[in-house]
Amino acid sequence: MFEKHAALAGKAQIVPFAGWMMPLWYQSISAEHAAVRNAAGVFDCTHMAVLKVSGKDAANFLNVVSTNDISMLKPGKAQYSYILNPAGQIIDDIIIYCIKDDNFMVVANASNEQNVKNWLNIVTVEKIDIDPGREYQVTDLKNPSLPDAKVDIALQGPASAKCLEDIFAVDVSGIKPLHFVSVKAKGYDLIVSRTGYTGAKVGFELFVHPDKAGGLWDIILEEGKKFGVVPCGLGARDSLRIEAGLPLYGHELAGDFSISPFQAGYDWAVKLEKKCFIGKEEIMKKLPIETEVARFKFDGSKGIRPIRQLDGLVNKDGRCIGNVLSCAKVEDKQVLLGLVKKGYAIFGDKVGVYYLARNKQHIEDGKKDRVAICDRLIADMKGLTVDRFEKF
Amino acid sequence: MVPKNLYYTKDHEWAQIDGEFATIGITDHAQRSLSEVTFVELPSAGKQVKSHDVLAAVESSKAASDVYSPLAGEITEVNDVLSSQPELVNQDCYESGWICKIKISQPAGVKNLLNADAYEEYLKTI
Repeated sequence: MFEKHAALAGKAQIVPFAGWMMPLWYQSISAEHAAVRNAAGVFDCTHMAVLKVSGKDAANFLNVVSTNDISMLKPGKAQYSYILNPAGQIIDDIIIYCIKDDNFMVVANASNEQNVKNWLNIVTVEKIDIDPGREYQVTDLKNPSLPDAKVDIALQGPASAKCLEDIFAVDVSGIKPLHFVSVKAKGYDLIVSRTGYTGAKVGFELFVHPDKAGGLWDIILEEGKKFGVVPCGLGARDSLRIEAGLPLYGHELAGDFSISPFQAGYDWAVKLEKKCFIGKEEIMKKLPIETEVARFKFDGSKGIRPIRQLDGLVNKDGRCIGNVLSCAKVEDKQVLLGLVKKGYAIFGDKVGVYYLARNKQHIEDGKKDRVAICDRLIADMKGLTVDRFEKF
Repeated sequence: MVPKNLYYTKDHEWAQIDGEFATIGITDHAQRSLSEVTFVELPSAGKQVKSHDVLAAVESSKAASDVYSPLAGEITEVNDVLSSQPELVNQDCYESGWICKIKISQPAGVKNLLNADAYEEYLKTI
């Protein structure tokens, strides 16, 4: 895929990401972001980890290593979940696709691929905690020598269903969120899944054999032109997921603040009523939560200094209530996710931001280079607390 | 793009020397790696700077970059237009996207700067 990206984007916009060379943007982050909100965008997600867990005990195994309830899945349905270590820390957030009752596909973050594989292997070999039964295999589905090998290409945005219907002559409008179908058309053998990471109401992830991924990418770009489909880079992927309020591992999950799913707003994906899963006892100790992820909007017009990770969030009394985790410029606004004291982010409330010192000069001018909850701060700019998630 | 008539630093600043004055900005390479510039923190006129002192900060939503002074001197003029039109740094980094002018206090400092050929060679190594 690298050659395709290099041909579309100038060399300067291609950056290393999780061991891959990936485009930050092709056209511009803002144009690609707008395309996904108004038409559709295609994302190369072939770097994402895709594993197969199969066999008689596959469901039991997954139920032990993940926090959500596998018994709620049936063929054609997908589920958001977490893999925890015995200390209750997140190894990764994943989506589990039930292909058949004894065949599951697990999609994990590229940056955590090795950790996830190592961990599943440790559980298998060392029989950690609970023995889920022996009859299951974990296979790397990105291996192109496998007949059912799969990599991920995402097509997201309101025009995505029409675009897929046009190319493959199949009706995908009936696929409900977190559901998927198998499609055989035009020489492609696809899993078409109504999932994604942009917050788009209509969006799909297409799982395709790695040898066919380049062809699929090309055909979507070519045939999608008339629907306004554009290629999207990592920059738009980040600004779209921030605008929607979706967490990124290392920022709104785990990371420097060891953020739990409860703090991120995903307690529903951790089924504490389940008899057992790895990390259950320890993650229960993280309740009740003292801080939570919240979403804010600030002015982002030209000439406004961009808000960055770790900048302070300030209440009207001039107290620090938390820190910024991620920020993105969306049109003339800055949308940010922050970790704040629970109960302090109330929809519609004004909130301030405190820019941390960015260089030696700022420190000499009296700016702090780190701030923590309860610090007394003078806000540099006022913004608004908005809903935790935004729907499009 | 590396204009022949300018001097450069390895931090990707350019300086146009005109007698005892120098106009300073960031290079095409720098503006491209920042992508869409949304904010420029400008210095105040009258300030004395040494070479390598922070002159300005240029930020995009993805990255922030300090601009270091290529030469020692006094800041005589600042391109205030950048406060409301930071995108000029992207669109026209060698002309209307200039950052400030300084009155050079140590003319010998020019010797430490790269000429266009040397800067182009340097770009090939990074």
